[in-house]
Amino acid sequence: MSDMKENLILEHRLSAHPDSRCWFVAWSPSGSLLASCGGDKSVRIWGREGDSWVCKSILEDGHQRTVRKVAWSPCGNYLASASFDATTCIWKKKNDGFESLTVLEGHENEVKCVAWAPSGNLLATCSRDKSVWVWEVDEDDEYECVTVVNSHTQDVKHVVWHPNQELLASASYDNNICIYKEEDDDWECRATLQGHTSTVWGLCFDTSGERLASCSDDRTVKIWKEYPSESGQDLSWKCVCTLSGYHRRTVYDVSWCQLTAALATACGDDAVRVFKEDEGGDPNQPVFSLVAQATRAHNQDVNCVAWNPKEAGLLASCSDDGDIAIWRFKED
Amino acid sequence: MASHFSGVLQLTDLDDFITPSQECVKPVKVEKKQGKSVAKIQIEDDGSYVQVNKDGGRQKLEKAKITLNDCLACSGCITSAESVLITQQSHEELFKVLHSNKVQPCGPQKMVVVSLSPQSRASLAAHCGLSSSEAGRRLTAFFKGLGVHHVFDTGFSRTFSLLESQREFVERYKRREQDKKALPMLTSACPGWICYAEKTHGEFILPYISTTRSPQQMMGSLVKQYFAQQKGLNPQQIYHVAVMPCFDKKLEASRSDFYINKDETREVDCVITSGEVEKMLEEENVSLKDLQPSAPDSLFSSVCGEEFLSHAGSGSGGYLHHVFTFAAKQLFGEEVTELTYKTLRNKDFQEVILEKDGVVLLSFALAYGFRNIQNLVQKLKKGKSPYHFVEVMACPSGCLNGGGQVKPSSGQNPKDLLMKVEELYKAEHPLLPEEDPHIAELYQSWLHCVGEERVKELLHTQYHTVEKMTNGLTMKW
Repeated sequence: MSDMKENLILEHRLSAHPDSRCWFVAWSPSGSLLASCGGDKSVRIWGREGDSWVCKSILEDGHQRTVRKVAWSPCGNYLASASFDATTCIWKKKNDGFESLTVLEGHENEVKCVAWAPSGNLLATCSRDKSVWVWEVDEDDEYECVTVVNSHTQDVKHVVWHPNQELLASASYDNNICIYKEEDDDWECRATLQGHTSTVWGLCFDTSGERLASCSDDRTVKIWKEYPSESGQDLSWKCVCTLSGYHRRTVYDVSWCQLTAALATACGDDAVRVFKEDEGGDPNQPVFSLVAQATRAHNQDVNCVAWNPKEAGLLASCSDDGDIAIWRFKED
Repeated sequence: MASHFSGVLQLTDLDDFITPSQECVKPVKVEKKQGKSVAKIQIEDDGSYVQVNKDGGRQKLEKAKITLNDCLACSGCITSAESVLITQQSHEELFKVLHSNKVQPCGPQKMVVVSLSPQSRASLAAHCGLSSSEAGRRLTAFFKGLGVHHVFDTGFSRTFSLLESQREFVERYKRREQDKKALPMLTSACPGWICYAEKTHGEFILPYISTTRSPQQMMGSLVKQYFAQQKGLNPQQIYHVAVMPCFDKKLEASRSDFYINKDETREVDCVITSGEVEKMLEEENVSLKDLQPSAPDSLFSSVCGEEFLSHAGSGSGGYLHHVFTFAAKQLFGEEVTELTYKTLRNKDFQEVILEKDGVVLLSFALAYGFRNIQNLVQKLKKGKSPYHFVEVMACPSGCLNGGGQVKPSSGQNPKDLLMKVEELYKAEHPLLPEEDPHIAELYQSWLHCVGEERVKELLHTQYHTVEKMTNGLTMKW
């Protein structure tokens, strides 16, 4: 394990949301900007200047409470921020900064996550009110709710879109993952993935969308694979691998690199870990090995990990300590 | 346990099955008995609580009870209402009243009145393979066989709702310049929508909502105020049951606005759903198919001979249809015979426009289901709603698809069943509200002489903002 540490090299550490938590980081589609959000109710945009990372702009006054998640539109011109104040803010790029375009209201209480579909026309949000909403955006930047789905019995923690189909996945405090599809002008839960024994905190599809990684309070990461269903009706997803024994606390986030297929995790034991799939294995029983870890990546819980979409091996993490760390993952 | 309430109510935390929830702040009145200050409380095997005094004396403790009304007035957990409702409004309660009438023929008898909704008629008709009217006649026979004295039709009281909605709209349209919240007028017959509006959008949205009573509560007025008087009865001596396609109607009946304080009685004592009637039939081992039909109770029923009548327009009461045709005629002298519904974002969001010489005179819409209600409210908040009138219903597809309708039998496709119910509902001939001589007569004999204020009380209602509750338990980050 000793040599693994050298595989994950800290490049920068930024005091991103001082005296607060940093909840989430998201790379812009071009990979040049990093958005962060936190307990200080703000969203910050970071960019590289020479050798260092600097704060390019601060998006304030959008929210009254913690900003829990932030998401870039596929075109990179819009940002969505989800807040505990029950709203989702849409921000539009203007000159060098961002301006608040509209506020999506409707959730009963804390919005936990927001995600843009690959087409850029649909946006999903989820909340402690147990519901998942899909919104449609028109040419005039108007947002309308197309569905409200109540398939979970508890707080919904995370939503994520399939990379190339209009398929949505959500993770919840009820230990389940739901997968939704549009059916007859409304959205329906078409598959419920059961297996985790505690809250599911994060989800990430691989590049093809055939596999989904989930992470949980049960201290495991699970890999789910899509199979043709027998009935032809419901979608069929099976757990093909469980990573257990690596994480000492809750796993809060999982990120699947679209370029190298490396799988990174953010954990409540303050560590960032990277796994890789063993080559030549059975696709129905893949094996993943720990290839790098930073055991003291942060001083407190690591909340999020995100691979840069264009620069292979560039990884961002953020923590309850308010910091963002930028890592370089090197394969042997 | 799955919730029966409409999706809108579930979103306002109505499906918390904790009784009552942690956030319940409603003070519960407990009868304090004089006694020694030190005592132990034991929990018995059956779950009951027993107080053991110092001297060894034992005393069973009463359970604190929270009524449905407490829950409705609170923005906390709301509610666990299911368990409260089950004890207060169920077919078992109806059986109890009927039973007590039977075993004590000389005791205090209650006159039992059942008001059957046209949507429930259609649902039970589809379930039994009958026409809607035939189901109505056989249900009349079934209830009368159980000892019910009168079986009325809320299609009859709906005529009042439609006439009052028409008048209210024209009145609101005329004051739209002075009163920015006169329009759009939003319908009020759906209790799920009303509950959501009061709890979530309060002061902002309530002025837009029509004050006209729903058919169920119109019937409440008719039965407990007019009919009781005619029969020389105290309203309390009548037990009034409504059969509805919807669980949320139980909440509506429980509203304090529909409680007659003077006589200490509700206008509608109990609401049972179409599905619960199906359960009653099963428990009594009766099939509607085998029953001899009874002639409809024509006193408060919309009938032509033995055939039940309905209203044109949607299966949710046809509010848009009737207000649109009336307003077109009254305000613009336009005779509209056929309405063109244009489907917008989805089938539960449709639009009807009256246009003359390229100018839009009237712009009406149907918005069913939570997502469409949501968009409507947000558009209103942003001042971007183009509508004069919106028929709002909490359930996708409206009342014929209500949560209280008979569930599909195993193997039956829910969509096919809904189509069948819609077909049966539409097969009943429509009645033009303005042309019902019986209603016109009641406006004359009953309402003409009671004064304007009283008419308002009898045919209209009001709404109340539910203040958001804050306390130490709801921690904010």
